[in-house]
Amino acid sequence: MTTPSNEVAADATPSRPAPRPSGRPGRRPPRRFKALIVVVSYVLAAALLIWYVPIGTADVTFGDVVRVLRFTVTGAAVPEDFQSTFTIVQGLRLPRILVAAVAGASLSLAGVVMQAILRNPLVSPFTLGVSPAAAFGAALVILTTGGAGNAVLVTAAAFVTATVASVLVLGLAHSKSSGQITATVLLLGIALTQLFEAATSALQFIADEDTLSAIVRWTFGSVNDANWSDFSLIGVVLVASLLVILPNAKHLNAIAFAGEDAARSLGANVTAIRFGLIGVSVLLASVVVSLCGVIGFVGLVGPHIARMIIGADHRYLIPFSVVTGAILLATADTVGRTIISPIVVPVGIVIAVVGAPLFIYLILSRRTGR
Amino acid sequence: MLSVRDVTFRHGRTTILHGVGFDLNRGDFCGLLGPNGSGKSTLAKILARVYRPECGAVTYDGADVLGMSRREAARLIAYVPQSSEVAFDLSVRDAVLLGRNPHIRVQPAARDWEVVESALDLLRLGDLADRSVASLSGGQAQRVLIARALAQEPRILMLDEPTSALDLRYQIETLQLIQEITASRQIISLIAIHELTHAHFFCNQVVLLDQGRVAAAGAPDAALSAERISDLYGIDVVVRPSGSRVEIFPALFDSGGDTHDNAGR
Repeated sequence: MTTPSNEVAADATPSRPAPRPSGRPGRRPPRRFKALIVVVSYVLAAALLIWYVPIGTADVTFGDVVRVLRFTVTGAAVPEDFQSTFTIVQGLRLPRILVAAVAGASLSLAGVVMQAILRNPLVSPFTLGVSPAAAFGAALVILTTGGAGNAVLVTAAAFVTATVASVLVLGLAHSKSSGQITATVLLLGIALTQLFEAATSALQFIADEDTLSAIVRWTFGSVNDANWSDFSLIGVVLVASLLVILPNAKHLNAIAFAGEDAARSLGANVTAIRFGLIGVSVLLASVVVSLCGVIGFVGLVGPHIARMIIGADHRYLIPFSVVTGAILLATADTVGRTIISPIVVPVGIVIAVVGAPLFIYLILSRRTGR
Repeated sequence: MLSVRDVTFRHGRTTILHGVGFDLNRGDFCGLLGPNGSGKSTLAKILARVYRPECGAVTYDGADVLGMSRREAARLIAYVPQSSEVAFDLSVRDAVLLGRNPHIRVQPAARDWEVVESALDLLRLGDLADRSVASLSGGQAQRVLIARALAQEPRILMLDEPTSALDLRYQIETLQLIQEITASRQIISLIAIHELTHAHFFCNQVVLLDQGRVAAAGAPDAALSAERISDLYGIDVVVRPSGSRVEIFPALFDSGGDTHDNAGR
């Protein structure tokens, strides 16, 4: 994208002025509508999530869902004949869809920040080796505690290894910081990914059959066991991260579009922003991976879709990526739940199957310029 | 007044700048000259607060430029880098809007857009405003960077070889524009530039760097003698008065044998 193609390279001279687009400026939505698009997208996303709840369950209607929501909000007593529906919707279906939504939102948000800071549209929150590190931590605990293991302990181990791996990458990159920090981070991430994948394979090699299946099941990202506390945890981290990231939107614009040197001259404290916001991205990704397992592609595709719709200005792109990620993962999970029902396909598999072709399409349809 | 004192910069074990110092006044358009590797870009990046010098001081009207906050510094000094790669799609207008970053909190206000539009017009980018930066030619992209710096409304404009990607006409237009803005806004402009003839014609001050030291500073007539340039670049040059201006070119094709004589002033 750096070399201009020939047909558009000719300088516009005064004698041959480039045609000024009349009426609608540019192909992207005009600026004043961008804020509106973001707001509307949040409303639409909420409606979509509620609409997903009754899908795939024969005896639950949309009206039931609304009723459940009313009981939940008002705290009124649930009638006897409605109790089982209430339990299914409130205890299983709602948290599942909401966890899928906040997990997708978190991964997409982490992805858009990583892409901006590393100035590379092809990186994702997992570029630093977060997911293989988490998988290794989980596998290690599953193996040592035997088969089923303690869910909280597995989650904690996954989170700790993911965070340690990322801190290691960032620390090493910083200690060798001489201009090429981006390339260093990417290469170290690749090295650590290979290392942890090999280590996990080694654990799988020595594991017995039950343990092996537990490890493999963990690495399929899924929201099958989602509950309200997962939702609260991911949700709190998501909102807190947004509060940290959004005020830096203009600096992310400067770093992503002008480069680190120019961003400094435009008033951005690049070093602090780089490590602070990569840290936030790692936290987001680690929390999701440790609770849901490895869910790829959302962190890569979510920001891309958002960028195609709303443009690259991070003031709008950041909140909008949250929505695209949420819708992407919630939709993938709804598909996974219903496509070969009653078998539930883990969302990590669905998103990979859908995401890979989608990503290939995005890359191939990407034109130079415009 | 911009005052650079004793600025020293090391990269690893190599000392790139050795105690560089000079003064510039409002309305000065200063050419930063010197061979490749003489430290022009490094000095530019120090003034732009990209690099931090090992020692030395930079002050503007007495205020410590190296000590102020990044936001304050960005309102004072704008920096035009040599070139910029674009990893993402961005419209020309949004690229110029980046120059307003030190002035806005989160969202740009109406005045920010006015400044952006007038910067676009000054660089004759109005017709390209909605185009993607990635679709521009090298020269157009370079002008976007200059427009961004002007949108910053700086009091010091630091340009690092802004004309090297431009064709002859845009080189001259850009230099004229910077000369004009420097005078009308009474700012200080510094430009790292290789074209000695252009520097002599457009700039009222020059600073010659030689391996990280100031070899000469002052008015171009005095500083740019054939002897000094020949010495600095290691190639014989001719400095030939041509009307009210001076032409500086290598002595390759000059058989007149007056290489050094007519430069003595």
